[in-house]
Amino acid sequence: MSDVIKLDKLPEKAIIPLRQHDGIACAPLVKKGDEVIFGQKLGDCEGSDLAYVHSPFCGTVASIELMPNPSGKRILSVVLTPSECAQSVDFVPEKNASPSRLIELIKEAGIVEYYEKPTYLALKPGKRVDTLLMNATFPLITHAYLNSLDKVLKGFKLMLEAGGISRGAIIVRADDKESIKAFKNATFEGKPLTVAPIIGKRHADYYFEDSEDEILVLAAGKVTYTPTMMNLLSADVMGRKIPLGHGPADEHIVVCGVKSAKAVYDAIYEGKPYLENAVTVTGAVNNPRSVFVRFGTPIKDVIEACGGYKGEPGKLIVNGSRGGVAVYTDEAPVVKNTTGIVVQTKDEVLRDEAGACIHCARCVDVCPMNLLPTRIASYSDLGRYEECEQLYAMNCIECGACAVVCPSKRHLVQLIRYSKLQINNMCAAEARGGD
Amino acid sequence: MPFTVSPPPHIKAGVSVKSLMWSRFIVLLPVCLASIYLFGFPALGNLIAGVLGAVFIELAIQKTFKQRVTIGDGNAAYLGLLIALMVPPTVPFWMPFIAAVFGVGVVKHAFGGLGSYMFHPALAAWVFLKLSWTQTMVPASIPQLGGFSDLIIENGAGFLVDASPIAMIGVLYLIARKYIEWRIPLTYLLTTVLLVVLLGDPLSYVFTGSFLLGVFFIATETSTSPITRNGRLVYGIACGFLTVIYGYFTGNYIEGTFYGLLLANAISPLIERSTLPKPFGGVEA
Repeated sequence: MSDVIKLDKLPEKAIIPLRQHDGIACAPLVKKGDEVIFGQKLGDCEGSDLAYVHSPFCGTVASIELMPNPSGKRILSVVLTPSECAQSVDFVPEKNASPSRLIELIKEAGIVEYYEKPTYLALKPGKRVDTLLMNATFPLITHAYLNSLDKVLKGFKLMLEAGGISRGAIIVRADDKESIKAFKNATFEGKPLTVAPIIGKRHADYYFEDSEDEILVLAAGKVTYTPTMMNLLSADVMGRKIPLGHGPADEHIVVCGVKSAKAVYDAIYEGKPYLENAVTVTGAVNNPRSVFVRFGTPIKDVIEACGGYKGEPGKLIVNGSRGGVAVYTDEAPVVKNTTGIVVQTKDEVLRDEAGACIHCARCVDVCPMNLLPTRIASYSDLGRYEECEQLYAMNCIECGACAVVCPSKRHLVQLIRYSKLQINNMCAAEARGGD
Repeated sequence: MPFTVSPPPHIKAGVSVKSLMWSRFIVLLPVCLASIYLFGFPALGNLIAGVLGAVFIELAIQKTFKQRVTIGDGNAAYLGLLIALMVPPTVPFWMPFIAAVFGVGVVKHAFGGLGSYMFHPALAAWVFLKLSWTQTMVPASIPQLGGFSDLIIENGAGFLVDASPIAMIGVLYLIARKYIEWRIPLTYLLTTVLLVVLLGDPLSYVFTGSFLLGVFFIATETSTSPITRNGRLVYGIACGFLTVIYGYFTGNYIEGTFYGLLLANAISPLIERSTLPKPFGGVEA
């Protein structure tokens, strides 16, 4: 907790992508040479799956061009030359807004969930929702927000109001002692929070029945539920498995993150748009820690704030070493869905050669979705995608556990991902061709 | 500053095919030493001949067909050692050599190499020897099956591996490290013990080095056993059944182990296909 810092130093240039989530790209509202003030809206867009982009800096627009992005692609971005200034947009807090107004404010602030969906859409899935889950199972991210826990809780309450959801559960890891302690000491609306473990068949419903509280904290297992693991989160916490092709909303659940709860608090109580985030830096840096970073700050400035590289860096991974993207440059900026940066030294970079499958079934034993990764991958390699589909390739959540344990170092995730793409193409072709 | 770009995952478990194979090889070394202690230089000659034959044919095939040479991964050496352990010490040294050439050359490589063979090369090589030189393959001395002490040092040992079954104790470490899967050995052992007790044969008939080699090393061969979780349990039970059926009616549980496992290899794909798991969360309605 003590090791969280705020990155106040202005970067030489800030790169603010006009698309920071998996949705519609914004059109730039500024042009080259314009002066921009803190909190000004930079990008506007129309459609259903949108997140407005605001400027976390004062400065001059140097250019609007395709720039490197942590997703690995080049994305149209506003490049700013930041300058010191105190000028900002007038932030108007609205404390007693109605639920529909809340949704509007959340939309206006451009808040995005950790699984790349805008919060205003996630909260209103158009289906009956009975529970809002806050995924606080990323220990380092949760720790970074423990100092402002009351704000997170208020934000969470606002999200419940906005979505018209009657109850909320905060999910922490059972082995994350620090967060559990902080939640135990926290009070919400004058009452202490209930922290309860999830054991066996005692799911969230069991505790909600006996409790008058609107918000519960639940310690669920030793799993970090990454964005693709919605199904497991829902099954472990609520006891509701999500069938293939359905989302959490079909099981009356909405999932949000710690970051978005804090952002909602800022948006409503302070009127501020979504401008900064906690990013955890781990691996080969001198001071691994969590840093509050304004969007658009290049990764190299974040690394600098953590004491710089330790040894010769070989790989820069954004969003976790399991499923993250290895970026080719540290000029790429931190964006709304950046949660962590991992640095590997030259020696740590894997240089494996894939061999033949020996059918050791390690992948079968670790697969959380109960699939046969090796068989799907082999069929995918042969181009036999119908067989992949019969082996439920579409249920794969691409967690990468199979590829981690594979003694033959096969590219299981990539092969399965490719088969999923081909199955989707086949389905699309079938739909075009009539019945 | 240049950064490496590669697909995820960016960290992997340290285990590799090489470490799996060489660890099995090393765990078999004590029993080799015990057999050399008991049988002297003929045993040593057989073991070396088996390993050399296997490595030689793998190298020759991969050079001839211009494939990547994989003798370093230890699979060939491990198979050669297994084959040599499954012959009596009295055979001439060229027999394990020929058997290893057949096992690795035909049963492994002609079927597609590492991971692709459908019968265990060592088992097939043993059957090949048994059919070709039946008289020579009968051990000069058969195990004097009796008390517990036979598990430590078997005075009337038959095959090399029967010399000292307890010397294979290292396999427990491999199971603990998950280098060897626990489901197959456990169900195989339990099924065999249960059936033998039910049928009224003394247990000491069963607990020979050959049987334990079959349980821990041959039945658990990954390429010839099912990959599904339930399939592995079923496979272990099937191995036990087939071993006892042969052993009970011939009175020879050593051959029963090997023939039973060969038949179990044959039904392994069937077991796998009938035990395909349902995905978590169910199928699209």
